[in-house]
Amino acid sequence: MVLTNLLGEVLSVRYIYILSLVILVSVATTASAGYREIFEKEFLSKPWSTDIVAESACIECHTSEVMDEKFRSIPQDWRVSWHAQNNVSCHDCHGGDSEDASMAMSHKRGFTGSPNYTDIPEMCGKCHIGILKNYVESGHGKALIEEGTGPNCITCHGSHNVQKVHIDIINAQLCSKCHPYERAKIMKQALFLTEKKIEKIENDLADLRKQGVYPDREEKNLFNTQAQFRTLFHTIDVTVVKDKTNFFTSQLNSIEDDIKGTFEELSFRKKFSTFLMLIFAGTWAIVTLIIRSKD
Amino acid sequence: MWQKLKDGIEIRIGLTDLIENRLRQYRVPSDTNIFYTLGIVTMAAYVVQAITGYFLLMYYVPHSEHAFRSVQDIMTIIPFGWFVRMVHMVAANLMVALLFIHFISIFFMGSYKKPREITWLAGGLLLLVTLAFCLSGYLLPWSQRSYWATTIVSNLPTAFPVIGDALANLLRGGDSVTGITLTRFFSLHVGFLPPVFLSIVGLHIFLVWRIGLSVPPLSQSAEEESEWTEFRHATYSRSYPFYPNFLLKEVSMIMLFLAVTFFIMSFMPTLFLPEAATTPADPLNTPADIKPEWYFLAPYQMLKMIPNKFLGISLQIIAIIVFLFWPFFDTRAERNIMKRPLIFGIFLVLLALWFLLTYWGRYSA
Repeated sequence: MVLTNLLGEVLSVRYIYILSLVILVSVATTASAGYREIFEKEFLSKPWSTDIVAESACIECHTSEVMDEKFRSIPQDWRVSWHAQNNVSCHDCHGGDSEDASMAMSHKRGFTGSPNYTDIPEMCGKCHIGILKNYVESGHGKALIEEGTGPNCITCHGSHNVQKVHIDIINAQLCSKCHPYERAKIMKQALFLTEKKIEKIENDLADLRKQGVYPDREEKNLFNTQAQFRTLFHTIDVTVVKDKTNFFTSQLNSIEDDIKGTFEELSFRKKFSTFLMLIFAGTWAIVTLIIRSKD
Repeated sequence: MWQKLKDGIEIRIGLTDLIENRLRQYRVPSDTNIFYTLGIVTMAAYVVQAITGYFLLMYYVPHSEHAFRSVQDIMTIIPFGWFVRMVHMVAANLMVALLFIHFISIFFMGSYKKPREITWLAGGLLLLVTLAFCLSGYLLPWSQRSYWATTIVSNLPTAFPVIGDALANLLRGGDSVTGITLTRFFSLHVGFLPPVFLSIVGLHIFLVWRIGLSVPPLSQSAEEESEWTEFRHATYSRSYPFYPNFLLKEVSMIMLFLAVTFFIMSFMPTLFLPEAATTPADPLNTPADIKPEWYFLAPYQMLKMIPNKFLGISLQIIAIIVFLFWPFFDTRAERNIMKRPLIFGIFLVLLALWFLLTYWGRYSA
């Protein structure tokens, strides 16, 4: 009987249709690899965004076989840099036209190429204005300008693979290339507590983001405070750093208070939702008991 | 005072008669299970959406330059704005889950069989409208995730030859997702879809009410077995009144739905709010990994798998048509799915495939 029923259903045209659909879906799910590229090309493209995604003329040339080998690693260094993460590209520092290969190195388009050793602070200072000012007035800057031998920006930060600054950039290995580490160590001690505070705030902000909060105001405040504080460091004057530390600490405390307030708010939200959950769960239990009593 | 008010209402609308004749005497099979309440719970979820949506409208700004900021202000500055938005977001997801479970249970119990084909069709349309609600509402926060997920979805119509590009451009209001798309989706979400949804709900509820609830296939209170050659309200050998018995069951399930909503808000607040949902939309920065919401993961993964996008879209459209008109394909009177091993097997395979694709879509690169 069951077999007859089954046969009847199999022979029914509509079930063959449904069966073919199931087979098609199954085949589709086991389809070959390499689909992602096709999918992205088909569904994830926008006419004007592809221009941005496309490699710039600088990168295309620097990664090609014709390029001298010592310049070929530059794009890779840049790709993992803090600059790349913040959309700072080749032409932002070196000028030129990254969209037009024929004009990429044209001086008419502002191409400066690789600057002289002593011109590097000026190049970086186009964006890092405050830091340039403090650096020029510092011992490091004076040594470079007056004698042409002092450290410039890339001596400590590197060139194309510039990374996000961390206090550990001040270390015996790096500083003792030019002078005894002792002076730098005193500077590091003066910076230490403030830097640790900044690090803690950064972690808290990341935590807030994970909890669904968009702490942009706190992030902007931190960015400004951090930038001012690190600008100050380039004076390499311990006294100045110590004098201003209280000011920066109070600013950071204010940001910390805001973050603490947000965490308290999240805690309140949780308690409030839990309270409502208990109310409705309780009502559900009571109504269920009433239903049972009626049955 | 209370008696006076009661009398006043009684004289004007005949409340006693209404309760007695329309609710108490309206019979429901006495062995209905909790799955029979899912329709009304889904309706309650919609009401929650409507109320919270109304409050969100007071502060939301449907403009690409202000949308994200306004949503963040609702979350942080407006008193209890976070509560309204979180309820709106969690209940929306639960509403889709409820609809899925509702359909699965209706299918298993064979409740779509004659004379309830139109009720199923109306329900299917409600599911599609709900998904359209989700899709249009998804873009409104103008976050990185909503922007790029919409970019994918709005490119789907381009799979159709000849009219594909025109369709996609009509949907987006241009070649790509812009502020125009945002206002289009916004007007769809708050102006067009609600009346459409309510109209179909009206039809759905009318049909359920008019025909009567079906009974579970193995029920003791089975309906009359005679052929449906003319309209008649379902009759049951064992039944109880709609009011208060069945209504209490519905109220209890609505309470449970609200308890689950607040449970998620308390203990899993970021379940539907990942980090990309709290990052402003950046049209110049394509995120490495875009995932749509969980209910679109299976079709999304299926599209990724099929190398030819026209084939992929066509398959999905065929699946939707088969789903909507299923009661007209499956006209056998037998309602007990256990006696129909082929249909049962196919359904289980499809269900397993759905879960597999959803899981795959969630964790694949």
